[in-house]
Amino acid sequence: MWHALKYLPLEPTLQNAHASLARHQPFGQLPLSVTDPRSMPRKKSRTPDSSSTQPDDAGVPVPPDTAAGAGYDVDSSLADSPAARSDTAVDMSDHGEQFVIDDVATLLVQLEVADTTELERVRAALMRLARETDDLDAAFALGGAATQVAAAAAGEDEVIRAASLARANRLLEDAMSRLDSAASATVRSTGEAASGRTVPAQRSTLDSVISPLPDGELDLMAAMAEDPAWAEVAEELAAEELVAQAVAMHRSGDWPVISEDSRAVAAQSDALVLPDDIDVDLLRDFIAESRDWIDGAEAALLALEHDPDDEESINTVFRAFHTIKGTAGFMGLSGISNFAHHAESLLSRVRDREIAFEGNCANLSLRATDMLATMLVSVEEALDGGSLEVPEEHDALMQALIRLEQGDVAGSLAALEGSASGSEHDATPVDPRSSDRLQGEQRQDDQRQDDQRQGDRRQGDRRQGDRRQGERRQDGDAERSVRVRTERLDRLIDMVGELVIAQSMISQDPSLLSGRDQVLGVKVAHAAKLVRDLQDLTMSMRMVPLKPTFQKLARLVRDLAQKAGKQVELVTEGEETEIDRNMVDIVGDPLVHMVRNAIDHGLETPAERLAVGKSATGTLRLRAYHAGANVCVDLEDDGRGLNRTKILDRARERGLVANDKHLSDSEAFELIFAPGFSTADAVTDLSGRGVGMDVVKRNVESLRGRIDIASEAGQGSTFSIRLPLTLAITDGMLVRVGGERYIVPTTAIHMSFRPERSTLSTVNGRGEVVLLRDELMPIIRVHRLFDIQGAVADPAEGILMIVGDQEKRTAILVDELLGQHQLVVKSLGGNLGVVPGVSGAAILGDGRVGLILDVVGLVALARARCGDSSDSERNAA
Amino acid sequence: MTAPASEHTISRAGKYLSFFLDSEEYGVEILKVQEIIGMLPITRVPRVPHFVRGVINLRGKVISIVDLRAKFGMPSVDAVESCIIVVQLQGVHLGVLVDRVSEVKAIGIEEIADPPSFGTEVDTEFLLGIAKGAGRVTLLLDIDRVLTAAEVLDLKQLS
Repeated sequence: MWHALKYLPLEPTLQNAHASLARHQPFGQLPLSVTDPRSMPRKKSRTPDSSSTQPDDAGVPVPPDTAAGAGYDVDSSLADSPAARSDTAVDMSDHGEQFVIDDVATLLVQLEVADTTELERVRAALMRLARETDDLDAAFALGGAATQVAAAAAGEDEVIRAASLARANRLLEDAMSRLDSAASATVRSTGEAASGRTVPAQRSTLDSVISPLPDGELDLMAAMAEDPAWAEVAEELAAEELVAQAVAMHRSGDWPVISEDSRAVAAQSDALVLPDDIDVDLLRDFIAESRDWIDGAEAALLALEHDPDDEESINTVFRAFHTIKGTAGFMGLSGISNFAHHAESLLSRVRDREIAFEGNCANLSLRATDMLATMLVSVEEALDGGSLEVPEEHDALMQALIRLEQGDVAGSLAALEGSASGSEHDATPVDPRSSDRLQGEQRQDDQRQDDQRQGDRRQGDRRQGDRRQGERRQDGDAERSVRVRTERLDRLIDMVGELVIAQSMISQDPSLLSGRDQVLGVKVAHAAKLVRDLQDLTMSMRMVPLKPTFQKLARLVRDLAQKAGKQVELVTEGEETEIDRNMVDIVGDPLVHMVRNAIDHGLETPAERLAVGKSATGTLRLRAYHAGANVCVDLEDDGRGLNRTKILDRARERGLVANDKHLSDSEAFELIFAPGFSTADAVTDLSGRGVGMDVVKRNVESLRGRIDIASEAGQGSTFSIRLPLTLAITDGMLVRVGGERYIVPTTAIHMSFRPERSTLSTVNGRGEVVLLRDELMPIIRVHRLFDIQGAVADPAEGILMIVGDQEKRTAILVDELLGQHQLVVKSLGGNLGVVPGVSGAAILGDGRVGLILDVVGLVALARARCGDSSDSERNAA
Repeated sequence: MTAPASEHTISRAGKYLSFFLDSEEYGVEILKVQEIIGMLPITRVPRVPHFVRGVINLRGKVISIVDLRAKFGMPSVDAVESCIIVVQLQGVHLGVLVDRVSEVKAIGIEEIADPPSFGTEVDTEFLLGIAKGAGRVTLLLDIDRVLTAAEVLDLKQLS
């Protein structure tokens, strides 16, 4: 196919080149002349010798091969050692032009396909020829040849290399014929005409370049183009050629950038490859560790946005990328290593104050952390048998990084920002759910990971003022924490629970209680104390701080605010508040929904805010604190507040509320939790589809929590979530029904009492009700629902427990109350699935299993059993 | 019923834990058995299929107990020797309540015959086969079939 391309007229070829560029880099308008490499300081070169940009002794200004060097050097992690290449560059410039051309000839005679250093020398020489040739077509061909040589150097196996060389050969042939026919071809002089090279001179040079390439390889090339299996490779090579041609045409200097890009394009195909000899355990550790680093980096990046001069934050991010790069390289994950390398380079320039950390740089860095996280997820999935996929945005992001990192600080920052922001919108639209999705993935992962990891993360997040200390932090972490498998931790907690029971059985043993053996009593008491301490300790192992959750929200707020065009400041308080590990993952979802709602619906645009006399920046306050045995998380915004009228109107429209019914504020606000309820006039990307708040409520309730809303029009809203500290332990009232014992969560019980017979009555001969303080409540008989023999049938001889919400209070009849206990909650084992009316099980003090009653389920069960009689009763009353 | 493929027969050979329900001897593949425990106080769970006796606390873990007698339609009796065989099915632990555990025996291919289509108290779909040896007949249970979650759920819906 390149034959066809090669002989296309100039214009179409260029168009093709552009099309090809556009195909490989979604930055459609990526300028072909971003920067002039001559004016571009050689940032990437770590060569101690700076003579490469000095004129040589012949007085011929050496066309700075910095461009070639820079272009190639950036990619150093791709192939061989950067040192060798830098040496080459220096070597060449030291010896001047003539040497290079002779060199090309000599080198190519002895061309060793595997010798990347030599190939690089040839490539540099070809590039120079291309730049110095006035004949455009010849320049195209020479540039293409150079790219092919580079491809040969980077090629993975012999076939690809040979193929690339064969391509180079063909292009050289082409270039020669062009040069021959162009009698007026002259050597472009960059300084003086002293070099005096003529067409024949070039001709002979090219001859010697071509000769070593065996004919057989040409055949191979042709075969490759035909073979569908190789078509892709061939196509890629062709694309590179086009890039190189475009580059050569604009040989005023911007080709190194493009060639860099094209190399990046070439590198994408193997961006994510799992090495064959991979150590799975090691890799998993790497993934877990990298996640910690990424989280830390994200936090630091967000901090940087507020304080761009915060050196410790820059270093934190830099270290994160650097560590991931190093470890990924060691693991053989060249794709990740390479990506991290570019992210690191960018940050290193931020650190060196060459680039200001703002706008696109911040966005790009954050997206880079996302990308690394996504790549890690991909690798992890591959480990679990999934396919290894390069995330969609990878290529675009990689090139954005490369370009920003290459950009001249002072001169080209503006241009870079323009193109980078363009690329942002064109190529990689911000998906409002992407960060959410990422969180989801991380969340899943979190569940697989253990407690200690979260501990690690906490430490990783804590930015330390002292830089030296920060640098030592990684080692310190390794000493301070151990990763433990979740199952082991759960098992430990189970065992300790059993130990507590066994211990209490000993303590309660009659022979001990008789007090005959006082010494034994003391020993048992001592053991009991130890067991209690042990229990506290194991329980605390389950607790993790909310900080990681808040951190993810901070990121979400940033992205959403940007997307919605609003200015939002997030203030977090009480991040160190601890909550059960199992809950931290579940509580994240509702919070995400709430934050999304607050930004989309709650907060006004800057203009609107200013119009009502508020500051342009809205404040979102996220506050966590302990209150008794609960954890409270409040989300407060100072936006427009909930529109009571609008909510009521919408609710009446949908028939949720009777038209004439008057509702209190809290009742009205409660309506937004109805499934599918939305007051948004238009569905936006962010929210408004009416899924959300009902999910929030359901999630919170599944955690045995509660959500309250307070809102004042024009002043803002506060959503308060109240959750139990842990799902593992619950305060329960042990009750007896017949021969069975059940546990009722203490929080569900409003009060318990033995009713006077006079307060009991039967309605319509079906439902029973009790009158308490002028309120009629239906009575639910547990023994009837659960079919228990021998239970108290007369409510006046049993106990009524009042449960339920203000509006729907219900009395549950049990035989007697046995006392309040702290209980370790277990799921109902085996394959029983969901048992109506029972929310779980707990191990009682005597080692038996007690069932925890699900009050809401019980009420629903009773309703289902006797129709909706209780409702009609209430209405009748 | 015709003889099944030989592979099937071979896969049935192996070690079985045998136990009794009434006077009938049953066998369950030893590899499925995690442990045998004595009778523990069982907490009744309401509104579950009749053959689910309830749940017990197995060293801090709540597992449900299936009464095999009830499952097979025999009258429920708590014998002195009653014990619980804890089996692991698809990662889930389940207790099986039986009258008496007998022994672990190796059963060869030649001893195993296909279940008759009728004549036992057990639905033949639960049987891997019937082992005849030493004058005794052992019904080899396909414990997965007996206790699959799907089946429990099905029955729950029926009840």
